[in-house]
Amino acid sequence: MTVATTQQAGGSGGTSGLYDVLELVLDRGLVIDAFVRVSLVGIEILKIDIRVVVASVDTYLRFAEACNRLDLETGSKKPAGLSELVGDSNGSGAQGKAKGALEGAAQAGSDALTQARKEGEAKASPRRSSSRSSSRREEEQA
Amino acid sequence: MSTYVYGIADAGHPKLPDGIDGIGNPAHKVRVVRGGGLAALAGDAPEDLRPKRRDLLAHQHVLSEAGAGGTVLPMRFGSVAEDDSAVAAALEQHAEHYKERLRALCDRAEYNVKVQHDEDAVLRLVVAQDDALRALVESNRKAGGGSHEDKMRLGERVAAAVQAREAADAALVRDALEPRADALSDAPQSTGWIANLSFLVHRDAAAELANAVEELRQAHPHLVFRVNGPLPPYSFVDQGLVAAAGD
Repeated sequence: MTVATTQQAGGSGGTSGLYDVLELVLDRGLVIDAFVRVSLVGIEILKIDIRVVVASVDTYLRFAEACNRLDLETGSKKPAGLSELVGDSNGSGAQGKAKGALEGAAQAGSDALTQARKEGEAKASPRRSSSRSSSRREEEQA
Repeated sequence: MSTYVYGIADAGHPKLPDGIDGIGNPAHKVRVVRGGGLAALAGDAPEDLRPKRRDLLAHQHVLSEAGAGGTVLPMRFGSVAEDDSAVAAALEQHAEHYKERLRALCDRAEYNVKVQHDEDAVLRLVVAQDDALRALVESNRKAGGGSHEDKMRLGERVAAAVQAREAADAALVRDALEPRADALSDAPQSTGWIANLSFLVHRDAAAELANAVEELRQAHPHLVFRVNGPLPPYSFVDQGLVAAAGD
């Protein structure tokens, strides 16, 4: 089973699960106007850039090298080998992400948060099918 | 002393985690503040409250404990009232609204689904699906990797193909999982995920959502899923649930 499901109920949720949902704890949830909210200045949990692939020279060269290195024949003809690979990277990749979020929490930079707010407000309807691509455009303009 | 608030439940919540450890170092005990037929999970606010790892975890823990026993409206981290009476006043003032939200969210929890690409797998996929790209890869390889310009030309095309895949896969995941949930909320976007979605799911439908994720994972091995839940319904406390589920 490579789908990581963290059971949070009953207090059994591990810290790795927390890092995955930090942005919810910090950016979602009920807000009561009469209450003061702790300053989140200095917290960089929310990064705007959801794009994994950034069109840049570095990315191009990295992909070219990766394609050169990849055994494409093996990959396309042996699906079993492929899923094994995916299973492996799921574990390590997920850990990498969790670590990234933790490091992000310790880093300074309030701009990202402010920007995230603005972006959240700009989204009229989260259900709109084009919301993802339109928010991308907003990022690029920002 | 100012009062930290974790969440709001109905006064009849059967198992409020009164007395467990909350935020602060050493931990302040959680207490219940009542008003307007509601119960707020509260505690002393630390003097120098900051979003520290330990306190974020404590906040989430208190809400998880409360959520295990009944419906709770989770507060955003870091909500502080002047004192307990200010909390009670806020409960009374908006009692009807909070009760409506508690009813709407009854027996439901948030499941957060994050999706990323397995890079090698997605590269294989885009190259395998595009003969021209494949030829370019082969010719570069024969040339020992190719010149800088060859690499740039290949890399740019591959990057464009992967980006297109990101958008397509994000839509694929959304469309496949949305029918399994009562509501969907776009979670804050963060680096590294091609999709970050929160679903409001009834207790009875949780297994169905998990199955749908598993089916996606089997069918699309280049997608890596991270599912977290059940969580307090952070993303759905302030939303019009009916409106979100109805369109």
